[in-house]
Amino acid sequence: MNPAAEGTVYPDVPFTVDPQRVAAFGDVFGSTGGVPPTFVTAAEFTVFPLVIGDPNLGLDFTRVLHGSQEYTYERPLREGETLVVRARIDSIRHKRNTGFLTVVMELRDEADQLVCTARSQMVEQAP
Amino acid sequence: MNASVGQKLPELKRVVTAADVAAYAEAGGDRNPLHLDDAFARSVGFDGVIAHGMFTMGHMATAVMAWAGADAVVERISAQFRAPVSMGEEIRAGGTVRAVDGDSVTVDAWVAVDRGGTTEWPIKKGVVVVSTSRVSEPRPIP
Repeated sequence: MNPAAEGTVYPDVPFTVDPQRVAAFGDVFGSTGGVPPTFVTAAEFTVFPLVIGDPNLGLDFTRVLHGSQEYTYERPLREGETLVVRARIDSIRHKRNTGFLTVVMELRDEADQLVCTARSQMVEQAP
Repeated sequence: MNASVGQKLPELKRVVTAADVAAYAEAGGDRNPLHLDDAFARSVGFDGVIAHGMFTMGHMATAVMAWAGADAVVERISAQFRAPVSMGEEIRAGGTVRAVDGDSVTVDAWVAVDRGGTTEWPIKKGVVVVSTSRVSEPRPIP
């Protein structure tokens, strides 16, 4: 990974909270009412192709493990709504040959209000 | 949610299967072959496919939300992924109430797996902050 890619902001990507996909989450984990707290991962994976495919970043996704994840909610997601997801590279660190990439995504609603902030740390293992 | 500091949440167990992990990959959109293709997983040093970290975190969230009740919403949820989970293993999710601040309850949550007499922690220091304005009873998982 290129440390100089830190701070990169990617173009906004729309993400609709598809009720069928929410139901599929419920089928896997058991429904506890509303949109599951970790459903935002689906929004993140809508945007990750921009990050994975960024030649300036140079991330090798085949060597990536998920290090940690945090979601901070201003309000719950609503089924059927369309949010805008904006990703930025918060930090890139290396320890020996292992890379640590933190991507922060903000999900905003149609009124441009922040709904959720997703912070994901990925670990790029040594080749 | 009648929460008090030190209260332990009911544990929620499940056996992780390849079918469940494949269903999760579709729902969540993470189709990394590490979670779907045994040959690929072996090529990068695992014994076979492993569950997504987000699979264990989703299970942790379900355990907390089942306890918190339908009126509760999540303010914050976090986890660090410490150990891979293989197919056929039973994972247990649980937690302890760390703080109660008005309607906001902070739970220290975890996911454990027992391996030959040793307990390992795919998630050891998860945190879930839930908020509710009224009391509700825990519901069974469908």
